[in-house]
Amino acid sequence: MSDSPHAIFRHIPIRDLDADQLLALSQQMKLSLSKADMLAVQKMYQEENREPTDVELEVIAQTWSEHCKHRIFNAKITHTLNGETEVVDSLFKTYVRAVTEQIWKDKPNFILGAFVDNAGFVRLDDERAVCLKVETHNHPSAIEPYAGANTGLGGVIRDILGAGKGAKPIGSLDVFCFGPPDIDEKDLKAKDVIHPLGIMRGVVRGVRDYGNRMGIPTVNGAIQFDDSYIYNPLVFCGTAGVIPIKDIAKEVKPGHWLIAAGGRTGRDGLKGATFSSASLTADSHEEDQTAVQIGNPIEEKKVGDFILAARDKGLIEFVTDCGAGGFSSAAGEMLSEVGGEVWLENAPLKEPGLESWQVFISESQERMVLAVEESAIPELERLAAMFETELCRLARADGSKRLKVWHHGSLVCDLHVEKLHEAPRREMKGRWRTPAVKEPKVALKPSSWTGTLKTLLADFSIVSREPIIREYDHEVQGNTILKPLAGAAGDAPQDGAVIQIDGSSKLMAMACALLPELGKTDPHAMGRAVVDECVRQLVAVGADPDRLAILDNFCVGNPDDERELGALVECTKGMAISALAYAAPFVSGKDSFYNYFVTDEGPVSIPVTLLVSGIGIVEDAAHVVGSSLRKVGSKICVFGPTKRGLRGSVLGKYVSGCGLEAAPEFDEAEALERYRKYHALVKQGAILSAHDVSEGGLGVALAEMAFSGKAGIRADLDRVPAQVGCTAAEVLFGETPARLLIEVAPEHMEAARQAGLVAIGESTGEKWLHLTYQGNTLVDASVAELKAIWKAGLTPYY
Amino acid sequence: MPHALLIKFPGTNCDAETARALEAAGFTAEVLPVALLDESALERTQMVVFSGGFSYGDYVMSGRIAQLITKNKLGDRLRQFVDNGGYALGICNGFQILTQLDLLPKASLIHNTSGRFMCRWAPLKKNGGKVSPFLQALPDNFELPVAHAEGRVVTVAGDAAQYVKNGLAPLLYGEDVNGSTERIAGLQDETGRVFGLMPHPERFLSKAHHYDPDWSGAEQGWGYYFFKGAFETMTA
Repeated sequence: MSDSPHAIFRHIPIRDLDADQLLALSQQMKLSLSKADMLAVQKMYQEENREPTDVELEVIAQTWSEHCKHRIFNAKITHTLNGETEVVDSLFKTYVRAVTEQIWKDKPNFILGAFVDNAGFVRLDDERAVCLKVETHNHPSAIEPYAGANTGLGGVIRDILGAGKGAKPIGSLDVFCFGPPDIDEKDLKAKDVIHPLGIMRGVVRGVRDYGNRMGIPTVNGAIQFDDSYIYNPLVFCGTAGVIPIKDIAKEVKPGHWLIAAGGRTGRDGLKGATFSSASLTADSHEEDQTAVQIGNPIEEKKVGDFILAARDKGLIEFVTDCGAGGFSSAAGEMLSEVGGEVWLENAPLKEPGLESWQVFISESQERMVLAVEESAIPELERLAAMFETELCRLARADGSKRLKVWHHGSLVCDLHVEKLHEAPRREMKGRWRTPAVKEPKVALKPSSWTGTLKTLLADFSIVSREPIIREYDHEVQGNTILKPLAGAAGDAPQDGAVIQIDGSSKLMAMACALLPELGKTDPHAMGRAVVDECVRQLVAVGADPDRLAILDNFCVGNPDDERELGALVECTKGMAISALAYAAPFVSGKDSFYNYFVTDEGPVSIPVTLLVSGIGIVEDAAHVVGSSLRKVGSKICVFGPTKRGLRGSVLGKYVSGCGLEAAPEFDEAEALERYRKYHALVKQGAILSAHDVSEGGLGVALAEMAFSGKAGIRADLDRVPAQVGCTAAEVLFGETPARLLIEVAPEHMEAARQAGLVAIGESTGEKWLHLTYQGNTLVDASVAELKAIWKAGLTPYY
Repeated sequence: MPHALLIKFPGTNCDAETARALEAAGFTAEVLPVALLDESALERTQMVVFSGGFSYGDYVMSGRIAQLITKNKLGDRLRQFVDNGGYALGICNGFQILTQLDLLPKASLIHNTSGRFMCRWAPLKKNGGKVSPFLQALPDNFELPVAHAEGRVVTVAGDAAQYVKNGLAPLLYGEDVNGSTERIAGLQDETGRVFGLMPHPERFLSKAHHYDPDWSGAEQGWGYYFFKGAFETMTA
């Protein structure tokens, strides 16, 4: 071997292999390609009359991976519901894109982009748009929690930097699903699995250290704890951005240079896309370490500052980030229309000796790829020097429609761009049976309803997230108006966050919702309820109900299990119904499959988990509404009917049979009318505070409002508008969606009453929670005592 | 109109809002990436500002690398700038940098006693003695947001108490926030023109920034008065 630099690659004979040999090759190279995929690849090369290089196979594997191509969401699914069979021709087209397209017709000036770019855009004001993107980083976080979550947030921030010609990240949200932190180590049924406590601490610190160093406030989030997430923790990271509307459109044209900017390329993060498209096994903890990237937020801060400065100078024609698949996916995407040539030797490396395929697919972090005119390069180089980031001429678009990759003079990859993106369509099967509705067997008569409330306030799904929230800088950039914790002591929970936007009089609300407990038994109801909760939170904090945009992020166990895929189909259907009814368009989304783990006792899957996150436009800073009581003597009102059913509720985890065994019903059309009326009251200044009624129902929502520290609440639950037959448990702790708890100033009560709000009580100078029902006192406790329980829930663990 | 020069290191991330706060108080503000910093930059400014963030990641002692780079680029010129009547302000990471640049009384900023990063609001009180230009427009008791992992002031035994006594520690926490000795939140030099503090005045410019929507302590947020006080002194 000579010492002069040369390409390291090889040809891999596949044309004469049979199907089983092809599959064996896929497994041996960890391509995560199925037999059908490998046969399609083989056909491609038989037609071209040559053998592929290892680089080409790796590029195809990354491009066709579930992670990059979302082949399950685009699959043809034969779905059987309650014995009736239907064919779903792509979940994405049917229940996501079609919903948005229909809403888009009515809101053409509001939705400014959906599904095509790294994030979806909606209009903020005449000149600016806001955007949001949420990604998952589940597999990396399971085997290396700190680095996995760290780069999860780093990656989604780059999505925003690579949205349009570069959007400015202005706020992040993070949502986690963990195993219970108090589980006994002995109950972990596989070797090398990290205890949920270790996962939680590592993940939180990973998010903290990336977000804080980038100077992006982490303002919103959620955490779920459940046994089903012990082996498959879920980590969702989201970031919102702002961009001038004129900088949304972008295009790569022949002649453009593709400039890579930012960090160097190394062996870290090899095959992340294919790794995340397979299930985890106990061996993953040893074998797949190189699939997890290493984060360096300062590198990203430098490249981010560079991108935004270059955008403002009009030097960028197109920009995208290097995420899954690295250069192969970034350059592949940018050259997917026109084709072009790539020179791998131009990429600065972290270490010498990388093989050609490694350079091309490495997912080393903090790298962006820009398409620019040749004339812009000197100015870009000046800016790069100013922000201390590195540039290289990676590729040039040429209109050849081929992706040609050179490495030290050798042609290591030569693929037709259209064929590269023609992954075979999957055909799959799903089935689901709607769960039976069961009448209550026993009336719940706890020795003390106050005791039940305390139990719920101490439940992991409800306790204060304060220890974690305080580790995130949620105020950097100086624009966080509604903070994740507020109230008189700055420690009471809020429904969402509101961020003011530099240079605009309008603000942006952020919120998110997930209800996996309900999804275990009724994914359709969960899909609807999750959309409602996110919409409701955005509206509650002051967003205009007619100017919201949402994202769907799915995490699923084994899609080859018909029941699990069936649950997904039902969830998507439910979600689509609510989104359409609320005219809340999906502008972006993502899915993560194979969240199952083979333990010593067999495979463990997560329940289908849907995170709906959203942004909404707040017209005026005066419209911002918090969830904490503000005055003594206000009217406490409920807006929205309470229905029978405790399925999926937090109370339902403790008791069964004390309410209707069903998901409580709600009507989106009526709910939207209520949200609009509520918003009109907000604009009139009639609303002092408002809280969405969600986990733990009215009882918990009332307590949480009183955690503001300014007042107590005395209420009569007989006045709660409730369906005939509701039990006390259903009224106090039922989780019927579409309800708001609202504090109204007495002078505005008449307007509120006309809008349909029902007063159930008053805020009191005595800081006490006193709730009566049918002549009995149900809850009688000091706010301080309840708050202490709620605040202390996570402190032993974090 | 006084000019403020904000030096931006890789990882500095509070420069934009600090510039905005300075401008609101009447300054002209210029954010200068450190790659462009040279001695001549000091000639066009009346105040050098080190903003918050994580300069160079703060993976070694916080502010350490930024301090070395600044020393290397400016040598004694920053000292001379201050001696000739210039102002220097360090907020959070900027305080950590200033402390190491020997422009403030000897002290170190180390990990909070909790061992954690902490984002919250902290009650603050002015410590009598020398009146700082930055504090002169503020009441005796007020509050500001803090967000740091390494904000605990430690000194050679006895120095901290001395600083409280002689007015070099003009700003104290109203309660134990991070384990800081004598609850010191900010330090100034003998002239009062060099000031460093852990809290973030730039994050509390208007009432809307307060966590309590009913806050009514003043017309603007306390942070506004922090910058305004300096502006008034400098233009008096």
